[in-house]
Amino acid sequence: MRGESELTTGPIPVGQFVNLIRSTIRNDNLFQNQVIKGEITQWKSYPSGHTYFTLRDSDGQISAVIWQGRCTIDSSIQEGSVVVVIANLDLYAKAGRIQLIVNRIEPINKLGVLEEQRKQLIELLRSEGVLDRPRMALPAIPKHIAIITGVGSAALADMNRLAENRWPGIRRTVIGVTVQGNSAANEIVRGILAAGKLADFTVAKRLNQPPVDVIIVGRGGGSPEDLWAFNLEPVARAIIASAIPVISAVGHESDMLVADLVADLRASTPSNAIERLVPEFDQHQMMMLNFELRITDSTTRLFVDWRNNLLLLQSRLLNAPLQGVYNANQRISDLSNRLTSAVTNKFGQSRRKLASLGNIMLLAAQQSIAAEKTKLAVFASTLNSAHPSNVLQRGYSMISNENGDIISRTNDLNKGQNIILALADGTAKATVEEITKESGKNE
Amino acid sequence: MSEEMSYSIAVGRLEEIVADLERGGIALDETLKLYEEGAKLLEFCQQELASAEGRLNEMRLSEIEEKLAE
Repeated sequence: MRGESELTTGPIPVGQFVNLIRSTIRNDNLFQNQVIKGEITQWKSYPSGHTYFTLRDSDGQISAVIWQGRCTIDSSIQEGSVVVVIANLDLYAKAGRIQLIVNRIEPINKLGVLEEQRKQLIELLRSEGVLDRPRMALPAIPKHIAIITGVGSAALADMNRLAENRWPGIRRTVIGVTVQGNSAANEIVRGILAAGKLADFTVAKRLNQPPVDVIIVGRGGGSPEDLWAFNLEPVARAIIASAIPVISAVGHESDMLVADLVADLRASTPSNAIERLVPEFDQHQMMMLNFELRITDSTTRLFVDWRNNLLLLQSRLLNAPLQGVYNANQRISDLSNRLTSAVTNKFGQSRRKLASLGNIMLLAAQQSIAAEKTKLAVFASTLNSAHPSNVLQRGYSMISNENGDIISRTNDLNKGQNIILALADGTAKATVEEITKESGKNE
Repeated sequence: MSEEMSYSIAVGRLEEIVADLERGGIALDETLKLYEEGAKLLEFCQQELASAEGRLNEMRLSEIEEKLAE
């Protein structure tokens, strides 16, 4: 209002002024969906079906209207009744009259009765031990979520939007029910039963879809009366009887509803239910990609280490007819083939699917492989210094028999046997004259 | 054991496998076994993730009850 009045230079036309007041009222949450208590005076129903009255108490009063068909009016309501209304404040500009547009009206004594019934139900459930029963865990990856809520409701739109953000295309079946009014409890119960059937393996197979593995039942916030169906015994019993986990997801901040107390999980709002149930797809895909890269990299690294070790061994024993090395080579080559085919078969598909996500991480992996190669080079040079030819340079010699078998123990020698000495720059043939075994130096 | 549980178990096992492989110092045969087990678990997990994707069905209670009664 302040902003707009600055735009005018002269006096504001009264109609414009009144409409500014109206938009101020309508945009202020304090005046919308407010729960108000008072006594009824001047109660009058018109042939059009609208009902006008004044709500009053000792400190003030305000006119109110119930549009035709807007809500059920309890037959006990009459002049003088004390009631609770849920109403939006509005200003009828043509008459300059402020009034309450009532969305819901309940005699105050009825609320008291309901509250008493709720307490008794909680006591009954407690005495049965139902409130202490173990709760079912939610599926880590829900395959098929049943959502029981108001068709076309804001709560459903929120849940759908959030679910799509977290896990695009996650499978859901929405069962649209009435969530307030007289038929609400009955419909919610039937919704839970229907979801239970969809959870049945045979039914799921017939419908050619995975069985429902979790149920969300809920609605957006509202007055205590609006949410009352979630305090009724049939709804509580249906939740308790469910063979799959049920999340109670009713938007409210006041007392726990009975549905909250008996559900496997209580979510504070419908959106909260989605946040706690639906994992983030990207997080899981990244985790899988991370596993894939780390498994491939570490295996490759180990494999490269072994191959290098083997090549080194091979070069050390180059002059001997080495069936063992040949066998090991065969085995390595066989392992190498298995490795390659495993990489291609197992990862080919997912790699393609994750190509876009993968590029960033592949880059990181390549960098770490490069670092490993440097480490390997250092490793190789260390091993190289222990190479037999370097040892021979230092004045040691290697003895083999005429078959080329390396001899390192006196047990492999016989008196008079011919042996080959390998020196740094060549070989020499010799004959064993005497064998002296030093005790304690065997093995 | 439910399928949902086995996704969690698979993830737990994958963590062990990655840790073992990265620590190294295991026999060549064992390494390849771990590698192949890891590849199978990854494939399983990817299938699990893919199988959560499906249609969004929105039906009124009466429609779904009719469908179930067929």
